[in-house]
Amino acid sequence: MATASASAPEFSSTHGPLLRVNAVTRLYGERTGCRNVSFDLHQGEVLAIAGESGSGKTTLLNCIAGRSRPTAGTVEYNLRHEGLRDIYRLSEARLRLLARTDWGFVHQNPRDGLRIDVSAGANVGERLMAIGDRHYGRIRDTTGDWMRRVELDTSRIDDAPATFSGGMQQRLQIARNLVTHPRLMFMDEPTASLDVSVQARLLDLLRGLASELGLAAIVVTHDLAVARLLAHRLLIMKSGEVVESGLTDQVLDDPQHPYTQLLVSSVLQA
Amino acid sequence: MTADLMVRVRGLRKTFVLHHQNGARLPVLDGVDLDVRRGECVVLHGPSGAGKSTLLRSLYANYRIQQGSVEIRHAGEWVNLADAAPRELLAVRAQTVGYVSQFLRVIPRVPALELVAQPLLGAGVARRDAESRAGALLARMNVPEKLWSLPPATFSGGEQQRVNIARGFISRFPVLLLDEPTAALDAANRAVVADMIDDARREGAAIVGIFHDDEVRGRVATRLHPLAALPEAA
Ligand SMILES: Nc1ncnc2c1ncn2[C@@H]1O[C@H](COP(=O)(O)OP(=O)(O)OP(=O)(O)O)[C@@H](O)[C@H]1O
Ligand SMILES: Nc1ncnc2c1ncn2[C@@H]1O[C@H](COP(=O)(O)OP(=O)(O)OP(=O)(O)O)[C@@H](O)[C@H]1O
Ligand SMILES: [Mg+2]
Ligand SMILES: [Mg+2]
Repeated sequence: MATASASAPEFSSTHGPLLRVNAVTRLYGERTGCRNVSFDLHQGEVLAIAGESGSGKTTLLNCIAGRSRPTAGTVEYNLRHEGLRDIYRLSEARLRLLARTDWGFVHQNPRDGLRIDVSAGANVGERLMAIGDRHYGRIRDTTGDWMRRVELDTSRIDDAPATFSGGMQQRLQIARNLVTHPRLMFMDEPTASLDVSVQARLLDLLRGLASELGLAAIVVTHDLAVARLLAHRLLIMKSGEVVESGLTDQVLDDPQHPYTQLLVSSVLQA
Repeated sequence: MTADLMVRVRGLRKTFVLHHQNGARLPVLDGVDLDVRRGECVVLHGPSGAGKSTLLRSLYANYRIQQGSVEIRHAGEWVNLADAAPRELLAVRAQTVGYVSQFLRVIPRVPALELVAQPLLGAGVARRDAESRAGALLARMNVPEKLWSLPPATFSGGEQQRVNIARGFISRFPVLLLDEPTAALDAANRAVVADMIDDARREGAAIVGIFHDDEVRGRVATRLHPLAALPEAA
């Protein structure tokens, strides 16, 4: 079974941040997606981004994850052996490789992150093959390990995810991402499409995996309770801008900005 | 003697601004100075609303420090919580400062034993050792063994509080912050907690606490730090 120590990433620099987001702005014509967002993220830190619908959370996540070029500003990632490099100045092939190996991206809708018609096992094994593993038996074993770790029944390894429940599909999407031992996970509303009871189970699983694997993660959520449970740090966005940031419990227990106060007081308990 | 100093608060001010209550301003702390040394248990003392919990939360960086400084001796260095980066604050919490709130924050699906062991597991202690220390603490606090494997969501208030205390004490933090940890407990369990506080203090912890119960306060306090309610802002 894969262990955290076996996958401990070699860092070019253990001191610097893993990710540096510097004054990122993304405009859609006249409209603002997000504006002037900056922060550092270190290894093992989980950062949540919350805010109302249309506040720019997904836009920001896509900019950071190399999926949408910012109109202005830079996104730097700490590459093994090279240190901080602007990801949008890497070749397209390198950026794609980075996204497939060092990063994971969990979509709100599992159908956007899975190939729904090929088997569950192939969905997980595919990422291993993409980084050059050709040993069928080993791929199948590793795939089985990861299915177990996300609490999926390995007897379903040959079934298509189309036959899985939403919660199972979401766990499969997570296994597919973790199989390459990424250092950084991006998640866009990972639990929003699930029943409340299934949400709790998935959150608990994510929490355990993130701390066991020392993963850094950026999680977009509109649910402050999810942020409280998963994230060390929290950014609050409004109209494309970050209006408040800090440790998650600071932001939720002692909100400073009028918008954050409104957000916190309008939920029952977070 | 200064080598014993663990917490150093200078000129700490806190005013809450309630933006949706017509911008009401609520001054709570007005220039607090406080030193806490190893082997001390300083009890914050004052009427309801005087800002005892606010001060305690500021020592944990749970509440933001608007003016003044809160310094904690962390790994041999002074860290000022007022301007430390998020990851420094997280490190201070992981290694130096423990906080026992009045209520347990239940995490879905996580059993009591695991909840108590988590701080040690996070610090890299082997699971077997962490769980055996967690079990010993829960036993000392009279939490029935049949509850250990259950998530505390369904526990009584007193049982939850004891789980919470066990979680706070397991790491033997050099600085321990206690906000009415005995409020929901019966006399026998209050006495156990008072013993645990004394033990931690004798082992060298610097403790800051809030205790409404006169008997417990008299038992554990080495010193009182008075806090007065501030007049309301105009
Ligand atoms: N491809 C696009 N073209 C034009 N405008 C866009 C595009 N994508 C997003 N926007 C606009 O940018 C703003 C931010 O959208 P974004 O999807 O980032 O919000 P969000 O915070 O993720 O919202 P939600 O919680 O509803 O997912 C919105 O005003 C949106 O209409
Ligand atoms: N996050 C907050 N936002 C706004 N006001 C707050 C906040 N926390 C505390 N206050 C206010 O600050 C004042 C002091 O509260 P605090 O909880 O520190 O008092 P206390 O001395 O601990 O009282 P008690 O003995 O009743 O627990 C109260 O008026 C309270 O309403
Ligand atoms: Mg979105
Ligand atoms: Mg109080």
